[in-house]
Amino acid sequence: MAGEEDGEFYLRYYVGHKGKFGHEFLEFEFRPDGKLRYANNSNYKNDTMIRKEVFLTPAVLRECRRIIAESEIMKEDDNNWPEPDRVGRQELEIVMGNEHISFTTSKIGSLVDVQSSKDPEGLRIFYYLVQDLKCFVFSLISLHFKIKPI
Amino acid sequence: MANTEVDALDFEDDDLMDEDGGADVDASSSPRAPQPKLKSAITSAPKKTKGRGFREEADAERHSRLADRNYESLGSDGGPGPQRSIEGWIILVTGVHEEAQEDDLQNAFGEFGEIKNLHLNLDRRTGFVKGYALIEYENFEEAQNAITAMNGTELLTQTINVDWAFSSGPSVGSFKRKNMRSGRTHRSRSPRRRY
Repeated sequence: MAGEEDGEFYLRYYVGHKGKFGHEFLEFEFRPDGKLRYANNSNYKNDTMIRKEVFLTPAVLRECRRIIAESEIMKEDDNNWPEPDRVGRQELEIVMGNEHISFTTSKIGSLVDVQSSKDPEGLRIFYYLVQDLKCFVFSLISLHFKIKPI
Repeated sequence: MANTEVDALDFEDDDLMDEDGGADVDASSSPRAPQPKLKSAITSAPKKTKGRGFREEADAERHSRLADRNYESLGSDGGPGPQRSIEGWIILVTGVHEEAQEDDLQNAFGEFGEIKNLHLNLDRRTGFVKGYALIEYENFEEAQNAITAMNGTELLTQTINVDWAFSSGPSVGSFKRKNMRSGRTHRSRSPRRRY
């Protein structure tokens, strides 16, 4: 699939909100040089910020690209997705090949939110891709650092 | 922001040094300059952009989150090669059949040493295996033997690829190779833009 092997690659995902426990968020980033950065900030019960980084091999980056390419997220658009609100925001930025997306939306509680949106097909792709990416990143971080990411 | 720029420039410098063995004036006039709104560590060619993220006001907060330098990492010598994890060595298996079971991987990879951890993650939509597995061995040799013996072999009718998951330094190798192919008639300041 085009864009899977060649060219630049960058990915950043953020989900967070500001509430009575301050700015709580989760963010991870795959950089072009292979560095994976992971940050998780919660002030709940005086938790401190977790910030981890590790270099990934090209094999791991390739698998990440495959997951993105197969999701076909690059064909979507966030025009009709729910806007970020007080409950929270999500950001997904991806550079792959000659395409660069930077999508924002609200938090998605469940598939009910997806179905009732104005773009259920597109939002469903986002919803599942984010879960698959989180799952991948949590495995990498927890195996490397022996922490429970969430 | 400063942080991401430094990283990105280092990365470009590597390419340039590799090609002509010296400093390059172009490195100082990185093509990132006309794109002040983008916070990512991406340089080079104009791209098809899409999404509300491009239309929103510059977000100082996002800068500060990503610019933070206090990220923990395990010590490494910075040189090329696999990186040890806290309790062992992690390998990545790709091309895993969607109906594979943990036992299939256990049987195939258990012969190289005791598997300390196995993550066989599922596709959240279909419930089938996503296509990769992460396996932890206690010793380097066990992991290395698994990679050597299993990479390119068949598991449940599919060819699997096996490699290290973590690296002790930046993965510029693949870019360098592409760079070399381009010949030396033209010194592109960002060779990857052609792709």
